[in-house]
Amino acid sequence: MPISMESELKSPAADPSTASPEPRPDFIQVKDFNFFYGRKQALFDITMDIPERQVTAFIGPSGCGKSTLLRNFNRMNDLIDGTHHTGDITINGRSIYDPKLEIIALRRSIGMVFQKSNPFPKSIYENIVYSLRIAGRRNRKFLDETVERSLRGAALWDEVKDRLNESALGLSGGQMQRLCIARAIANNPEVLLMDEPCSALDPIATAKVEELIHELKKDFTIVIVTHNMQQATRCSDRTAFFYLGRLIEFDTTEKIFSNPSQKQTEDYITGRFG
Amino acid sequence: MAEGTGRHILGSFDNALETLRNNVLMMGRLAERNLANAAKGLFERDDDPCNIVIADDEEIDTLEIQVDQEGVLILTRFQPVANDLRQVITSMKSSVNIERIADQAVNIARRARKLNAHPELPVIHSLEPMFAHASSMFADALRAYSDNSAEIARGLKARDKELDEMNRQFARTCTERMAGEPDSVRGYLNLIFIARFLERVGDHATNLGEDIVFAVDAEEIRHTQASRTD
Repeated sequence: MPISMESELKSPAADPSTASPEPRPDFIQVKDFNFFYGRKQALFDITMDIPERQVTAFIGPSGCGKSTLLRNFNRMNDLIDGTHHTGDITINGRSIYDPKLEIIALRRSIGMVFQKSNPFPKSIYENIVYSLRIAGRRNRKFLDETVERSLRGAALWDEVKDRLNESALGLSGGQMQRLCIARAIANNPEVLLMDEPCSALDPIATAKVEELIHELKKDFTIVIVTHNMQQATRCSDRTAFFYLGRLIEFDTTEKIFSNPSQKQTEDYITGRFG
Repeated sequence: MAEGTGRHILGSFDNALETLRNNVLMMGRLAERNLANAAKGLFERDDDPCNIVIADDEEIDTLEIQVDQEGVLILTRFQPVANDLRQVITSMKSSVNIERIADQAVNIARRARKLNAHPELPVIHSLEPMFAHASSMFADALRAYSDNSAEIARGLKARDKELDEMNRQFARTCTERMAGEPDSVRGYLNLIFIARFLERVGDHATNLGEDIVFAVDAEEIRHTQASRTD
């Protein structure tokens, strides 16, 4: 199915067109991808297939290009002057660089959660429905249902259902991050990108988000950037190790953390780098 | 296989791994010495080395517990992965096998003391090659552990087959002789037991080898056709 450019939002589980029985092994395809910040090349010849409805972790030292690649999936890097790329990235069979594709529609179909939770200074309810309102959705029943579905999906409903109209800024750090996840899944994205989503959270909030990731992968294809090796081990099905802008190794998480093929990977995960 | 060979950024991790490894090797050396003393007590008909074996076993038991505690601490504090994790697991499992080899040395020493109280049975010297074979297997298992040599470790399985055959042959010889020497049945039974203990030493040395192959090559060779036909 091509990336949806409609504003019609359905629950992925309820929509037979999105809940295909056989997940695509190449839901996100990165092909010979090079990326440049001005003259500085940040990614070199990246080729990889990211499977549907699995969690893929990107690991590697700071500056290795993992966040750069993640931010290319929803073309966030387009917002930076002087960037350009060669090669291609397809999501569900369609190039994200297709000139006919509206970037706004692309970003609507790819949710993103950042390192630091960034709720809008609005109520919990309005945080969830904000993007829907912008997309022209006004039906109160639809908005209410979306809020409940998203908050339940983000394992936050029980904690906030009685104070949906209170400011989101009054939530704890962990709750705020889960609110951002709820906001990201409100649009029923095909892909959920997470850039170090737990690095500012305490262990309990981290565990809740990790449990949530485990639940969300039933419906979404998740790509997570993390510096926490244990988190990658716990949460992901596949792990990609990047170093100096290159994809060094990409395999099942079990293989990467038990017996990686590349010495650079082993040195990094065992703490021998540098 | 990738091999992490450099030092860890975290020096305390290296120190902890090194201490764990040294304690396993120390256990190995003590068990080796106990096995040698058991042989001395048996073949030289001397109870003193036998008593030393029994007394020294406590030190090995203490070290086994220490290795366990150190291993658990490393798992908790450093959460090792890949090669590091395999090394810690193998060290912890190796200490169990070494402790059991030391137990076999004690068993041999106890039987030797019983044999020493009676006139020597000449067949006892047929045990010497078997003793040498089991001791050499154990020594090589320790060398494989110390040198991270999967090559040496892989060779142990085949040598265990030879040891098994020596044990069978020795038991047959003793059984035959028992029939003609009914007064010495107890002595022959003790010798059969000692041969069986040596056969167990070979089994534990083989286990050590299998775990070392796992640590070094990340390969599982236990209960596999390859390991059986090696």
